[in-house]
Amino acid sequence: MRNTDEYPISTTEEREAVVATAGAAPEEDWVIVTRGLKREYDMGGEVVRALRGVDLAIRRNEYVAIMGPSGSGKSTLMNLIGCLDTPNDGEYWLNGQLVSAMSDDQLARVRNKEIGFVFQTFNLLPRATALHNVELPLVYAGVPGEERRRRAEEALERVQLGARMLHKPNELSGGQRQRVAIARALVNRPSILLADEPTGNLDSTTSEEIMKVFEELADQGQTVIMVTHEPDIAAHARRVIVLRDGVIASDDKRSAFTQKVGL
Amino acid sequence: MSIRAGVTNLKEGVGIAFDAMRANKVRAALTVMGVAVGVFVVVAMSAAVHGINASVAKDLESAGPTSFYVYKRPISMMNACDGTDETCPWRRNPPLTVRESEAIGRLPTIEAVTAHSATGEKVRYKDRQLSQVGIDAYTANWTEVDGGDIYPGRSFTSQEAQAAARVIILNENASKALFGDSDPLDKLVDINGQPFQVIGIYHYTASFLGKPGSAQSGDSPTGIIPLETGRRHLQMSMRWVDFTVKPRSDVKQAEAIDDVTATLRAMRGLRPSQENNFAVTTQDRLLEVYNGFFGTFFVILIAISAVGVLVGGVGVVAIMMISVTERTREIGVRKALGATRWTILWQFLVEAVTLTGVGAATGFIIGAGITALIRALTPIPAEIPGSAIMAAILGSVVTGIVFGIVPAFRAARLDPVIALRYE
Repeated sequence: MRNTDEYPISTTEEREAVVATAGAAPEEDWVIVTRGLKREYDMGGEVVRALRGVDLAIRRNEYVAIMGPSGSGKSTLMNLIGCLDTPNDGEYWLNGQLVSAMSDDQLARVRNKEIGFVFQTFNLLPRATALHNVELPLVYAGVPGEERRRRAEEALERVQLGARMLHKPNELSGGQRQRVAIARALVNRPSILLADEPTGNLDSTTSEEIMKVFEELADQGQTVIMVTHEPDIAAHARRVIVLRDGVIASDDKRSAFTQKVGL
Repeated sequence: MSIRAGVTNLKEGVGIAFDAMRANKVRAALTVMGVAVGVFVVVAMSAAVHGINASVAKDLESAGPTSFYVYKRPISMMNACDGTDETCPWRRNPPLTVRESEAIGRLPTIEAVTAHSATGEKVRYKDRQLSQVGIDAYTANWTEVDGGDIYPGRSFTSQEAQAAARVIILNENASKALFGDSDPLDKLVDINGQPFQVIGIYHYTASFLGKPGSAQSGDSPTGIIPLETGRRHLQMSMRWVDFTVKPRSDVKQAEAIDDVTATLRAMRGLRPSQENNFAVTTQDRLLEVYNGFFGTFFVILIAISAVGVLVGGVGVVAIMMISVTERTREIGVRKALGATRWTILWQFLVEAVTLTGVGAATGFIIGAGITALIRALTPIPAEIPGSAIMAAILGSVVTGIVFGIVPAFRAARLDPVIALRYE
């Protein structure tokens, strides 16, 4: 594993400066900025405060892991970052847009353009070929057929699946399926790649393989955000945020994190 | 949603629908069946009714568009007469006579008129016998109000008509049956023990209902003789004579009808307070009677097919609800990848319409097959009208949308976070 300090990641001071001014649009370099992000659920009359005010700043081309035990709010934070859910309070700026104020359909467009999802269970459409699965975000973006196909093929070649484009998910191994999902996430050239437990359903060899793909993408300049509960997976990222009880408990460089958890 | 994105999503939706149908063949077949039954009934029956109407219209047209008919009683498809004066006030109407038709023929507004009566007889030539031949008996100038052709041969002359000559014009069907390929002209056929000379072959493709007032339906064996011949030699009753009246081409139909009515009333000595004791019937009125009859028929069929479509529609709701539930996760994924609520709604509506569309297509193919069978096996010249095709397409789309909208809304409203967690 390379030394973390080779990679340019934001400093605590820089992040605090960005988060400080409520309502101000962050500079272009900051792909994600949240200010006092809160999310509460009403569970049969009882209010569950899943996020209690999260201030988060992520710069372009950072490779960040979000960790935390179950109930820490990491899934809620992931859903908010992924624009699948809206906060009860606070701001969320994604790539210069205030998405916390957007309607459902505006959010759908933001998800399509700005976010590439990678899920624990891959979530490929079972009856569609790898190629068609990868084309799907482009279908919703209204990209015409020929260009769609070309771009989907490129994305699949990028994850070394050029030879298996016409296979259906059940004809592919777990690692291959996750690579199809990664190709699908990348095909629309999103601002962030958002991975939710991407190795949760994979054996350790395949997990390493997928982590290598993430590493390469980060090297190529892709912003990667990965939610995981496994410290050894989180240790692949260059910055690790730990959530606890709905707030950020720590936000460290990889070296500091690995030292803390004793990896 | 731009038009291009809409079309792209349309293809996506149709593709998904076919995938879903392949995955659940039996379920899809049951769903499709209801719609198919509805469409098939509409198509086959409207083809039959359309065919009937077209040929009836053709029959009427052949007599000349402004021609009209005079009957002893008003025409109707359903006759509810039970012998009393209330249900059939025409019961005491005197029969129409040849003398009256001649008087009508002399009117300046009238080009031609023929008096007609009909019966059925056995006709024999050597060892061949037809047990039921429709005999239409006309006065001499019948060819002027009839749409048929006579070749080879000729019609009877007015001398022959007056002299009650035993001459007959056979239609193709009767001629074929009696003479096969040999020449029928000038041969003698036997009717009721009397020799009739064949003088012509009549060509006319009438509707299977036949011309108004004729004894037999269009294509069945028919013979045409002078009215006086029928009266004298075949003892034909003259109680049900009818007239076909053709006004001059420069005369309005209403004017001609007024003239005919006035002439008949005068000849019958009716006072102004008395009602007509005869009935003038125009082609429009005849068409109305036909249409009224088949209209009722049609309404019943529409009701049957509506039930079919309703059953299909309920099936669509069921299959779509299942489809939405089964694919909750997939909907979540699609939303995560950027599908808007409208896109999802559209996708599921397209799926529902594809289902009903396949049903309509199936029903249409079966309907077309039945139509071909009707045409081949019955005298009804069934033909699928363009409006039935439109109705089938439109009906299936509307059914798909109406019954697909609730499941589609459910899918569109799914919260992506919950949908993605769905097991």
